[in-house]
Amino acid sequence: MDHRKLAEIQSLTRRSFLGSVGRGVGVGLGSIALASMTNCESHVESEAPLVDPLAPKPTHFPARAKAVISIHLAGAPSQHELWENKPALTRYNGLPCPDEYLKGEQFAFIKGHPTLLGCQYPFAKYGQSGIEMTPLIPHLATVADELCLMRAVKTDQFNHAPAQLMLWTGEARFGRPSMGSWLLYGLGSEARDLPGFVTLVSGDKTPDAGKSVWGSGFLPTVFQGVQCRSAGEPVLFAHDPAGIDRAGRRNILDAINDLNRIEAERTKDAETRTRIAQYELAFRMQMSVPEAMGIASEPPETLAMYGATPGRGSFANNCLLARRLVERGVRFVQLFDWGWDGHGTGASDDLITQLPKKCDEMDRPVAALITDLKRRGLLDETLVVWGGEFGRTPVAEFRDGKKDFLGRDHHPHAFTMFMAGGGCKRGFTYGETDELGYFGTKDVLPVQDLQATILALLGMDHERLTFAHAGLDQRLTGVTKPVRVHRELIA
Amino acid sequence: MLGFSIILISALCASDSSTRAIDFNRDVRPILTSNCLRCHGGVRELGGVNLGDRERALSPSKNGNRPIVPGSASSSEVIRRIMHTGDDRMPPTGEALTATQIETLRSWIDQGAKHDPFWSLVAPRSESAPTVSHGDWPRSPLDRFTLARMEAAGILPAQEAAKVSLLRRVSLDLIGLPPSPKVVETFLADDRPDAYERIVDGLLHSEHFGERWARVWLDLARYADTQGYEKDQRRSIWLWRDWLISALQDDMPYDEFVTRMIAGDLLPNANEEDQIATAFHRNTLTNAEGGTDDEEFRLAAVIDRVSVTWQAFMGTTFQCAQCHSHPYDSFAHREYYEFLAFFNQSEDSDQNDERPTIMVRPPHWRTRALDAVTAMKRSSIDDGAFATWIERVTADEASAEVPEHLRTILLKPVDQRDGSEHALLVLASKRSDPVIASELASLAPASVPVMRELRAQARRETRVLDRGSLKSPLEVVEPRTPRAMHSWPDGAPRDRLGLAQWMTRRENPLFARVAVNRLWETLFGRGIVETCEDFGSQGSAPTDHALLDHLAVRLPEVGWSTKRMLREIVLSATYRQSVVASPETLRVDPENRLWSRSPRYRLEAEVVRDSVLAVSELLSPRRFGPSVMPRQPDGIWQVVYSGDEWTTSAGDDAYRRSIYTFWRRSSPYPAMIAFDAPSREVCSVRRIRTNTPIAALASMNDPVWIEAARSMAKRAMASSESETMIATRLLQRALARDPERREVERLLALHTAELARFAQDPTAAVAITGDPAGNADWAAWTTVASAILNLDEFLTRG
Repeated sequence: MDHRKLAEIQSLTRRSFLGSVGRGVGVGLGSIALASMTNCESHVESEAPLVDPLAPKPTHFPARAKAVISIHLAGAPSQHELWENKPALTRYNGLPCPDEYLKGEQFAFIKGHPTLLGCQYPFAKYGQSGIEMTPLIPHLATVADELCLMRAVKTDQFNHAPAQLMLWTGEARFGRPSMGSWLLYGLGSEARDLPGFVTLVSGDKTPDAGKSVWGSGFLPTVFQGVQCRSAGEPVLFAHDPAGIDRAGRRNILDAINDLNRIEAERTKDAETRTRIAQYELAFRMQMSVPEAMGIASEPPETLAMYGATPGRGSFANNCLLARRLVERGVRFVQLFDWGWDGHGTGASDDLITQLPKKCDEMDRPVAALITDLKRRGLLDETLVVWGGEFGRTPVAEFRDGKKDFLGRDHHPHAFTMFMAGGGCKRGFTYGETDELGYFGTKDVLPVQDLQATILALLGMDHERLTFAHAGLDQRLTGVTKPVRVHRELIA
Repeated sequence: MLGFSIILISALCASDSSTRAIDFNRDVRPILTSNCLRCHGGVRELGGVNLGDRERALSPSKNGNRPIVPGSASSSEVIRRIMHTGDDRMPPTGEALTATQIETLRSWIDQGAKHDPFWSLVAPRSESAPTVSHGDWPRSPLDRFTLARMEAAGILPAQEAAKVSLLRRVSLDLIGLPPSPKVVETFLADDRPDAYERIVDGLLHSEHFGERWARVWLDLARYADTQGYEKDQRRSIWLWRDWLISALQDDMPYDEFVTRMIAGDLLPNANEEDQIATAFHRNTLTNAEGGTDDEEFRLAAVIDRVSVTWQAFMGTTFQCAQCHSHPYDSFAHREYYEFLAFFNQSEDSDQNDERPTIMVRPPHWRTRALDAVTAMKRSSIDDGAFATWIERVTADEASAEVPEHLRTILLKPVDQRDGSEHALLVLASKRSDPVIASELASLAPASVPVMRELRAQARRETRVLDRGSLKSPLEVVEPRTPRAMHSWPDGAPRDRLGLAQWMTRRENPLFARVAVNRLWETLFGRGIVETCEDFGSQGSAPTDHALLDHLAVRLPEVGWSTKRMLREIVLSATYRQSVVASPETLRVDPENRLWSRSPRYRLEAEVVRDSVLAVSELLSPRRFGPSVMPRQPDGIWQVVYSGDEWTTSAGDDAYRRSIYTFWRRSSPYPAMIAFDAPSREVCSVRRIRTNTPIAALASMNDPVWIEAARSMAKRAMASSESETMIATRLLQRALARDPERREVERLLALHTAELARFAQDPTAAVAITGDPAGNADWAAWTTVASAILNLDEFLTRG
């Protein structure tokens, strides 16, 4: 695993942030955003009111979605056991994989010539759309007509950390802003008293790529994701110490901010202004985070629908929290759930024992989330994105030649993700793969294209959402490859 | 005017690239890197073409064409393909190269297609300091480099910082602690011209210097008190941390310092301390989980040692070559394993007990024991009582009053005990005092894992691993350093010691540069090469190449002395600038790339916490010893398959400097994480500074900060006559300067408001002061002190 902090670029201070605006990046941000930032710069010199860098900003074009809930199944679930009905693969189960597939192929773990592995579960069609699924995800089957399934998503990374970075930051190395940070930078947040970008982690492990998948990279640090805990104190040190009540906290904070304003006047350092804003946010968060994270206030019927249990950290709780957070204006909620890396090296990572267990934990809450958003009228403006950092091979892994357990290796060429709500097509399937589900054959969707499409649903042009850094107007989707928005996915 | 016209003419000529001299690194390398090397570089070599390596680029490709024919662009396949308009065009997707880029490549090939080595692979050369117009500004040779660039950009340096600002800055930078009121007072009263130099020399000799600079190395060494992975069990390795602090404190020459960490065990006549030094590379993770393949994790540790060696000392990311030849830099796949072979002969093999280990007393224990007794004597020593104690514990062999490790000393005849051994017994006799007990514990022998070579007949074979996989071993390789680097020292042994000799050679283009860049980064918040971890083609170029090389050449000249280098830098005019810049400077140099003012940045996690403890007088100055557990919130340690618990340390151990805080990789001390400390699973070359509400919550609400505020308030109240005086004292203590009147008045207003609140609610006053007798006044001043500990200025180095 690659934990390099390599290009983990020291986050820019607001000073350099303003510097880059001065160099004309604002062109890419829309005129009002530019105006607000220019204001921001001028008040360093004068005593104009503080401009909040997280204030909502206009979109480039009308938005379909206002918020994103991303559900990342870290380790990468098998598309073959959930979505990809390939009779040929089942028919040729156990036969050597044809040579033409393996030319120049690199596997993470497979050695020698691999054999094909058919789907382990039967498929059936669901909903009016007739999307095929297996019995591992019965609840998702009930919302089949809400899903916009993408069968030929493609990445070029086949190890977890680089692929997670690729999916969320647009490049396979550390140091670039995550999608949530880009969106917060471009759009601001409507949540005035919650972080605009929240990360919730389940499965006992943080993602392989660590906090970089919600880091702000070279963007100012105000745009990074804040990790909240779904059990215990939601954010550490959120409680005022004994003896300081809200009135006392307000008194103290006012004094801190007043003295910091004097300091900002002396040093002209925009970072001091940011600190004032962050202390104000901290004050509001002390009330709003426990309130937002308090799922105990949900009716028992809702808790049951998600399978959520107040007080315990779980993926189900996180799904319910995601709804509560977008309801309160949070721009980007990012869920990570560990435990999907199904190599089949033992019962703890195989297709027969572990995958059904993980699906059981995932299926109900995700279906509940979609249903719940819909009944509250939030699904139209909330984009749910579901998937792993890559897919799994149509061939068996059989690590070290052992065949006691079934599993699949990492597969970057074609894998399935879905979106729901947020202006994308409903009950729709996009992209095709070959008869083995090995490569995409039609409507292939590189992850950069997916990023551009998600930004488009939020009203942002990925080519205009830029930030000057290291001599380039950087963007989420990178500047080297041609990237396109797949309008076919948009309703 | 004449000079100007010549420049103009040459600029015009430059547009005609056929006559322009092409510089490979400046003109060609960027084009190849961003357009070609991803497919035709060290990793993929599609079509048998590798343009990243001159020899390979000149030899025929799979289809027999020669990609590059030096001297003849028209016969070079590369040129044909980039100009092609059909399917054969390169790059196959995206935009074609621009006419200018094509012309550059043509000229380069016509001029002989020279591949110059990358800048960082050419040894630094000393350039004479540039001439400057404002010759009275420089105080040190390095200032001429910074000033020349400022003058070229048409700006002037910032003014010199105020005396008090400079004092606080240099104190935080060199020892990681703010100056005490006494130091401030003395310095302000000292109007000798060398007053600042005296301060600097005092700080360089301060006993807290080593602790501050050790922090940097703990991140690089991925130091922790646990093994990592799933169970993350405890590990005893603090002796290495103590060795590190002492080595930095004693200003061990940098080349020796690195040699001991890499190969102390292989030095002729290696002593205990040389062996402890090698624990640097025993900070790798150990996987104690059931059912793991020890060989797999042994190799993972060896691979980590290779990575850390390159990152920490060479500023190079070498691990790409673990799986394939480096795509952009000149390292071949095979060379990775040749290098790995140096580290593949150590005895350790991912055992839960960490063997090989040694059990020894900490570095300098003799002088430390004597010093502890001297310090104690000032308060109380009663020879008669000591004699009685000795008599009693000698008579009772099982006496619990004597720690096990002193038993052999106790059994020695009195005249055979040396002074230090005697000192240990004196300390033992006073063990009822918790401070002395803790001091004695820090002098006890402890276990430390070390590097030790396998016996000759047990040596391992090192093989190239295809794509980095243990399951695909290829050919056997011998220890060797990469060909792109400087040469191997004649006659050096092919082991870690030889490797250290190779690394510390003057010819090494990276070793000194990386070292001085790290010093610069620690002081200025950003390195001259911003990507401290990557001096390669994917890293950032130095903002000032000449300055970097000046410092790099200087380091061996001053005998590899870190303290002398630091002294030169902090005495420079560049360092002494104010943080306040003119509007013109801000416009021309918004990101301070020219070092046209002093950078202003948030203090690092350890310095933040230590400053809080220092200004509240809670900080224990005690150095060294086993790691301690200061207060942290409940329920932080929730690690799977582990029942281990955090137990808050007794006495002053809860208030030791942060570098002594117990570090569990899976759950590091939360207040440190809030201020961007890494988890230390891998080498961390740089910390990202963030400015978040999470940090604000920690500094407002962490009980440790409240306790500090309470202590500050109590002291200021006891030593001041008026409320104005109390507020002034609090600000002075925290900020090391005299406050402005409006600042004092604002705090007095806070005091008044809070006093009213606490007067109405006495239980709140008791709660915040933590004292049943806590009154409203103390409570109100506590909140004032808490506000001060949250000020941007307090948290910032300026």
